[in-house]
Amino acid sequence: MLAADKVESPLPYTDTKPVGHADFYFAVNATFRFILRHHGEEALRKYWQDIGRSYYRPVAERWRERGLAGVADYWRAFFKAEPGADVEVIEAEDETRLEVRVCPAIRHLRAHEREIVPTFCQHCYFVNEAIAEAAGMTARVCGGNGCCTQRFMKRTTDLPSQNLEDIATAS
Amino acid sequence: MIGCYDFCGHYEWTFEWLRKVGGHELVKAYWDEAIHHDSQLHASKLIGEKGIEGMKEYWGPTLADEGAVYERTVTEDVFRIDMHECPSKGFLLNNGLEQYRDYCDHCMGWIGPLMKKAGFVIDHEHNHCGQCWWEIRRKDDSTPASAPGTLSSQHDVRLRPAWKSPHTDHYERATDPDDKTAVS
Repeated sequence: MLAADKVESPLPYTDTKPVGHADFYFAVNATFRFILRHHGEEALRKYWQDIGRSYYRPVAERWRERGLAGVADYWRAFFKAEPGADVEVIEAEDETRLEVRVCPAIRHLRAHEREIVPTFCQHCYFVNEAIAEAAGMTARVCGGNGCCTQRFMKRTTDLPSQNLEDIATAS
Repeated sequence: MIGCYDFCGHYEWTFEWLRKVGGHELVKAYWDEAIHHDSQLHASKLIGEKGIEGMKEYWGPTLADEGAVYERTVTEDVFRIDMHECPSKGFLLNNGLEQYRDYCDHCMGWIGPLMKKAGFVIDHEHNHCGQCWWEIRRKDDSTPASAPGTLSSQHDVRLRPAWKSPHTDHYERATDPDDKTAVS
């Protein structure tokens, strides 16, 4: 891939293949289970926050530079590269919203009868929020277990915090 | 969401996160428990039940799906892979990602214990640049690893001009990621 192509992509890390290999969702799910088993729920949340702040730091930098339009561009490119995803990205005046009609990870894990970590869907909140915070934004997730709504907004003090009970248990 | 498109990037990042939390032993436990026994349980089942035939069934579609450039040489006694362009290490190199000391160790980290359980041992060498070779034989077969070019002929990755670049990590009849020696 040419360096110029990489600069133009909304994704910070690019591959020569247009779409990822769905079996890697097995490893994502297994990683959550391993951390949960060895170190507990708080450690798993810290893993999600750390990966958002560190590995995905280039995403936060782009969101900070490009605002909510940059958030929308990122998620359009992201889900285009995730096999089996059905996601609408909606740009409103004060938020970017994802309507996840088919979560590609939950879909693939179910199709292969894998035991899904019950808090799997919480990773979207904790990772998104860690990226968003560094970009001066905040994120909320509602639903889960295959379909959900994810919102990204400018960070203000009057927004109610995420209620984790609004995120469905995965199975 | 943590996706599968850039999986190798956050997978490698995770090794270093685990090392900082619980040291090398936690990373090894992750490769064995999370990857061998959980994520790749389909590989474990196939190879455990079918041996070399299972290796063919597993690595054929998997490496193709991942976009690997490789050659496979299989006899009744040995399963050999010459990896010329590892898609996983290639992704990291192309994106300048390096958190963990040797990403390539993860393969022996989960395949080693899998092969031990299935009754095989591994000769393996990787050069940290996306090239490696594997020879997998039954543990009661004392045949040493092949000399360059003798088993996979012109496909042997060791015949590449830049193979030792600058050194390789070598495993002999191994099933543990710590059983390696550096070769210059």
